[in-house]
Amino acid sequence: MIAFLSALALASFQPVALPATVPQDGSGEKNRPRRSWTISADKIYTADGNVVENGFVRVEDGKIRAIGKGAGDAELHVAAITPGLVEAASQISLGPGSVEQDREVTPEFGAEEGIDLFSTDWTRQLKDGVTTTVAIPDDYNVVGGQPVVIKTGGGEPTFEDRVVGTGTLLRGCFGQSPSYNNSPFSGRPFGIFNRRPTTRMGVEWEIRDAFYKAVRSRRDASFTYPGADVLLRVLDGDLPIMIHASASLDIRTAMLFKEEFAIPHLVIEGAAEAMHEPEMLVRCGASVVLPPFSFSGNTGTDGAYMPWNTAEKLRELGVTFALSGTGSSDPDQALALQPAHAMRGGLPFDAALEAVTIVPARMLGVDDRVGSIATGKDADLLLWSGKPFEYTSRIVGVLVSGELAVDPRIGQEL
Amino acid sequence: MLGNHSTSRTSTLARTVDRSRGAALLGAAVLSASLAGHAAASPFQADDTVVIEAGKVVVDPSKTDGSGVIEDGVVVVEGGRVTKVGKRGEVEVPWEAEVVGGPEYTAFPGFVEAYSSRGMDRANEGIDVAPFLDVRDSVDPINVYFQDCLRWGITTVNVQQGSDCVVGGKGRVLKPVGITVDQMTVRPTYGLVLSASPKRGKSRATQAQALRDAFGDLHRYLDEIVADAKDGNDRAKREALFQGRDLEGENGKGRAMKSEADWKVDGLELIPRGAIDEKQAPLLDLVEGRVPAFFHCGSPQDVHLALRVAKDNGFLGRTTLVLDDSCWKAADVIKTAGVPVILTGPLMHTETDPVTGEETETFVAGVFRDAGVPFALSSQDSSTASLWYQAARATGLGLTREQALAAVTSVPANVLGLDADVGTLSTGRLGNVLLLSGDPLASTTWVEHVFVEGHHVYDRSKDPRNKILIEGDDPLDYLSPAK
Repeated sequence: MIAFLSALALASFQPVALPATVPQDGSGEKNRPRRSWTISADKIYTADGNVVENGFVRVEDGKIRAIGKGAGDAELHVAAITPGLVEAASQISLGPGSVEQDREVTPEFGAEEGIDLFSTDWTRQLKDGVTTTVAIPDDYNVVGGQPVVIKTGGGEPTFEDRVVGTGTLLRGCFGQSPSYNNSPFSGRPFGIFNRRPTTRMGVEWEIRDAFYKAVRSRRDASFTYPGADVLLRVLDGDLPIMIHASASLDIRTAMLFKEEFAIPHLVIEGAAEAMHEPEMLVRCGASVVLPPFSFSGNTGTDGAYMPWNTAEKLRELGVTFALSGTGSSDPDQALALQPAHAMRGGLPFDAALEAVTIVPARMLGVDDRVGSIATGKDADLLLWSGKPFEYTSRIVGVLVSGELAVDPRIGQEL
Repeated sequence: MLGNHSTSRTSTLARTVDRSRGAALLGAAVLSASLAGHAAASPFQADDTVVIEAGKVVVDPSKTDGSGVIEDGVVVVEGGRVTKVGKRGEVEVPWEAEVVGGPEYTAFPGFVEAYSSRGMDRANEGIDVAPFLDVRDSVDPINVYFQDCLRWGITTVNVQQGSDCVVGGKGRVLKPVGITVDQMTVRPTYGLVLSASPKRGKSRATQAQALRDAFGDLHRYLDEIVADAKDGNDRAKREALFQGRDLEGENGKGRAMKSEADWKVDGLELIPRGAIDEKQAPLLDLVEGRVPAFFHCGSPQDVHLALRVAKDNGFLGRTTLVLDDSCWKAADVIKTAGVPVILTGPLMHTETDPVTGEETETFVAGVFRDAGVPFALSSQDSSTASLWYQAARATGLGLTREQALAAVTSVPANVLGLDADVGTLSTGRLGNVLLLSGDPLASTTWVEHVFVEGHHVYDRSKDPRNKILIEGDDPLDYLSPAK
């Protein structure tokens, strides 16, 4: 009787103990949630230019195995399937403690050392349809380090299960953030307790100084500079650099910086005012991540203003761009709503879809695993109640690494 | 000066547009204001008669059987009201009337904001009981909020004081058109705001005490003046005359108290109604059921207090609860009380388990829908999350289209007692008509034109703010005299 009661107590406790993926018998795999599904939909948007009508996606062991026409003996049917969303500019789960304060340029630092994989922020993003996100160091440094690209769910909250890419790009920041609070505008004079830089010019000088030193270290074997190898990889085009710049003067600084050092791959993130100097943007060949749309127009940092046709204008110019929700907890700034906002500004559906899936996946250097529905890629799928990215549609299901994190059958998180 | 920017749409519309040329100025006031100013000069507006054609006329958005929609329809507005609505060609149209619209538009009833504290100077007073206040003195007709209302299709707004007072001032139902409060008024001195949720820094007990005290004070005051009058002391009347208040007509007569409250003052017929103190008179109106109450609740426990106070003082039948998102937990109590609600918080209520950190989300409107409580949605701010957007998101989260659209048209119209005037395009309703570029809930749909009581008051092609925000126009272009 007592045994029966305790079994009951255990059973009722189980929902809290979920996910029941903790290896209890040493085998691990045995207790993993199911990772093989066949799901059919009226429309499957693969984000690589194809739309499969009345088709299915077959998932085996967390990977996409097949995409085809017909029902394919599907056990779930939904209105539409898109790839899981990829957030290119989330700043979640890395507090000020993750920023090294004794140098302004720390390119050799990896954000993976600073993330909290148990944070509920990941779960929140997952419910909102973001299956791959990036943890970026806070912008207190001019060059903060290398962001880490991670999954928001699937498996255990461990590096093995969640991290998709490390060292795939370098993060820098222009504008006010790296100099903010570094010294009082008036009052106490500068001293050893104040950080540099204290102006926009100082911020730019720090990054140029670092790159010049990196170049010098290549020519002069006796000269060393911490993180020079990382900066040289940026110069050689082996590592993209993502620089935050919202206001047009900071975007201009980023573009001039790219041209001065002939940096092959620059992503300007938070680029609200990207359309202020379109000719220069096209000439310099940088790609862009836009901050969330707002009805007031104010978004990003440094008091920047972004009209709603910015995404469409960038598309017309042929500039590569991604949309971003910056990991905001404001439900109206969610990444899943950004395509709708961009379409309200004139962007066609296909471009909007790519701007939250395959394009950011390429920017983060993880498009071999995520960002589109293709055989062999991770099974990160969004199941929709209607046409994706309409305000009236809802994400009813989320698959991440083949696991059904949000179940369309009950419309609730498992 | 914006005429150069506008692109003509249909020829009929272009004609209309030319006549309202005066509206095309930059600035907050203009959109709504200057049109009213030009009304007398425009023959089209002088007689309030207009014929609005649309590829689709949504007469009643809450109808689920499709009977609320007329394909290739026409709405005839005469004297500011809808006189005919039906299929084009089948409806007799006044021969001299202006014909506007076209097959590319969807005609839709103007959205109704059930409750808002926007559009006025400082919405809150610092004292506990302030029913002598009137938002009439605070509404700012050139506030950009009213311009935003037209931009997002809201044609009726219930403007009420904020929720800081225990008993706040008198509200007013407005249309976002006009340069004075009087021009804007649809219904003057409408409603009284009460709040069951504690003010910042105050405890719940203090709030509850202050709320009950307000009615205790009223009771004592009425007892006193009646006792005085019985003693032959007409103090109340003399004070009123000294203050120069009007004691003519109805105000000069006394009337016995008629209320469903659990307390009563006999002999009130001895007191001329106009002699009742200005602080107490609005509360007496409330207790006698002559004005509706909008009762703020910030958490489920506030709902119990609000309903109890309303019931004890006889105005439960005229109460609407203004709820924050967590109040869904009191849905069954609200259902039993039989009052409608206005949802002002986020559409999803999120709770975090303090132990596991796990988040639980609840779709607030869905709970009230399931409980059978009439609910109106409200804008979360003046633009981003306006009514159409709330309705669209609520549809995504689980309401049917009809439920969501009703919650921003016919339900708020009912809550405001304006169901004979707004919320649908049925015959007899005010001519508050939106011409939308498509489905009201689609992401790419815009409010192209707004008619309020038959007046053409908004044209998107001439809206500079929209052009700057959506089309990326340079704001400086609109300041240059050359343009």
